[in-house]
Amino acid sequence: MTETHPGSGGAVAEVSPGRLALALVVGWLVPGAGHAVLGRFRRAALFFVLIMGSFGLGLAHDGRLALYSPREGFLTGLQLVANLGVGPADVFARMSVYGEAAYAVPDQSSSLYRARIEKFRDRQRSAVSAYGTAYLWSAGLMNLLLLMDIWDIAKRRKD
Amino acid sequence: MRSHFAHLAIYSGIISTFFSVLTRRDRREQLRFGGLVWLAMAGGVLVLAYLMLPFPR
Repeated sequence: MTETHPGSGGAVAEVSPGRLALALVVGWLVPGAGHAVLGRFRRAALFFVLIMGSFGLGLAHDGRLALYSPREGFLTGLQLVANLGVGPADVFARMSVYGEAAYAVPDQSSSLYRARIEKFRDRQRSAVSAYGTAYLWSAGLMNLLLLMDIWDIAKRRKD
Repeated sequence: MRSHFAHLAIYSGIISTFFSVLTRRDRREQLRFGGLVWLAMAGGVLVLAYLMLPFPR
């Protein structure tokens, strides 16, 4: 997909720091939108479809919405990064699955503990959960890669 | 959907399309690179599956 950019005249246009920051924030909030801010509209639309498609497939296949646990802090932390990469869509997914924007395993003495863990395990026990988790985490990681791509475009390392 | 092969094809399609558009600018290059990545992912899994066939759990 070859794109031309307004005002570039063959060279890549300068991106101001403010526009770069806007592109990064918007790009995290809505996958692909950061590229739209930089004028890469076709790429933005395709990235949006790919990432949200992957995210939707993940939710439909009981993908794991990771909960941070201090007992396995490093691994569950990485899982959370992969989940959160997709932006606020992750928050909405958690609200629909857990009933709130839950990001951690509650203390065992908490009244929330049993309900949250049961919901987490219900999804994990699903026969298609492994597929769903791959889709969900890939969606988040792809969006994080897009943020790095936005940075490269703004710094004129690529067009 | 429980078909392992369907998920393999769809997932490989998403990933190969993403990386071809992310790393290539020319459409012909994107198609070539995307096709290669898709084949490597889907074909690699099938080859591994056949190699593991003599070693059931």
